[in-house]
Amino acid sequence: MSHQAAVLGVGTSSFGKQPEVPLAQLAWSAVQEALSDSGVDARGIEAAYVGSVLGPFGSAQRALQGLGIGRIPVITVENACASGTTAFHEACWAVREGRYETVLVLGQEHMSSRITGAIPPDLGDPEGRSGLALPGVYAMAASRYMARYGLTLRQLAQVSVKNHGHALGNSRAQYSGDYTVEEVLASPLIADPLTLLQCCPISDGAAALVVGRAAARRDAVRVRSCALRSGRAWGYRSEHAWGFEIVRETAEAAYAEAGLGASEADLFEVHDSFTIGEILSIEGLGLAAEGEGGRLTESGHTALGGPQPVNPSGGLLSRGHPLGCTGVAQLAEVTWQLRGQAGARQVEGARIGVVETMGGGVAGLDGNACVVAVLERP
Amino acid sequence: MTRRLPDPRPQVEIVAGRAHVVGQQCAACGLRTTLVVSACPGCRGELAPVRFGPDGTVWGSTVIRVPVAGRTPPYCLAYVDLDGGPRVLVHVKASTEPVAVGTRVRLRGDSGGDLVVELVR
Repeated sequence: MSHQAAVLGVGTSSFGKQPEVPLAQLAWSAVQEALSDSGVDARGIEAAYVGSVLGPFGSAQRALQGLGIGRIPVITVENACASGTTAFHEACWAVREGRYETVLVLGQEHMSSRITGAIPPDLGDPEGRSGLALPGVYAMAASRYMARYGLTLRQLAQVSVKNHGHALGNSRAQYSGDYTVEEVLASPLIADPLTLLQCCPISDGAAALVVGRAAARRDAVRVRSCALRSGRAWGYRSEHAWGFEIVRETAEAAYAEAGLGASEADLFEVHDSFTIGEILSIEGLGLAAEGEGGRLTESGHTALGGPQPVNPSGGLLSRGHPLGCTGVAQLAEVTWQLRGQAGARQVEGARIGVVETMGGGVAGLDGNACVVAVLERP
Repeated sequence: MTRRLPDPRPQVEIVAGRAHVVGQQCAACGLRTTLVVSACPGCRGELAPVRFGPDGTVWGSTVIRVPVAGRTPPYCLAYVDLDGGPRVLVHVKASTEPVAVGTRVRLRGDSGGDLVVELVR
């Protein structure tokens, strides 16, 4: 027996550096809001799928214990930046196949207590050991795009201008602002050509979803499809920039399963950990042809008020990027949008929303994991 | 703990005054890699040890300007496609600006375990 999976309720904490707030407390606010939103009692949750990258181990069970949620199976997932959406992917399949009827998806991360500055490179990785911090991976893709496709610094900066502007309507975002392209380019260089305002901030936060059967509620947001891929070998034989092909392959699988294409989506929440990440993502998702993402951004197509807004929440650049939480926060945003509850940042008449999360870091791989999900309004 | 971790960076060998990087090549599909792997990442074929380099072309480049543990910014990094493969991550000697995509470079050896190239003039 196969069921259609749906999002029955969502909740998030606020996002930002909040070292004085324990991780479990962030999770409680997200889970309590999601349960209340769904109308599902905590006793109705049959399993929990949790995205978490930096841990510490047991942090999922610790958070759930404080809500009186115990005994049920708890599955904690690490898939780099795509951990939260990977947890969602597994939750959806469990509901579809009838393994469970109602489950909890939780994404949580407390970065300010684990690290200072940029995420330290993994010394067990040949490129990490060579000093390649994550901004550098994206920066080198940006340098390639500028040389090969004529991507401009102004087009890159426009992604940041747009997303920080979108976040003005999102009170839970870590940062927002009415910046100019010049201000973005004048912020300190992190890894050439990426400046500070083109890099997502270190953040603490949690987000939660109740996933169940579409038939459970009239206002359930249907999961039309969800696809998960890991990267293939990437190197001198690859035709594309790092992180492009994995997104394209995952998107193609998600669109095929949903029976629609990028042109039919009304909004996107994508992985803009760095401005070039949004360019690569919208191209991989088929919103722009390869090499055209910068021009599409400059045209206003992906801004609120444009035909297909990308990151109406403000994206990772503004909301913040609590690693394991991010994918779930993206799904919460799309759910609010499809229910018409996004307030000042509402995409009018949104019917189809797409979420894309892409996590990387392993040398020689075109990304560790990518998830693309297609959601449809009630 | 990290001090005991084996160094995962590719090793350099100097042969007749020229620097080469040690890696493996797949007997089945020809893929070249400097990664420590037990089968070809592309086709699972058998690998044999080979030396690569020293000449190559810059695929992309950046300068890291934020603090990274154990390093002093700024430092210039590049992905270089060695002629015939593979793609390696290198430090560009004495450069505080990114190197243009397409620039020809030559492997000079290693510095503290990092692969180092210099521009071919």
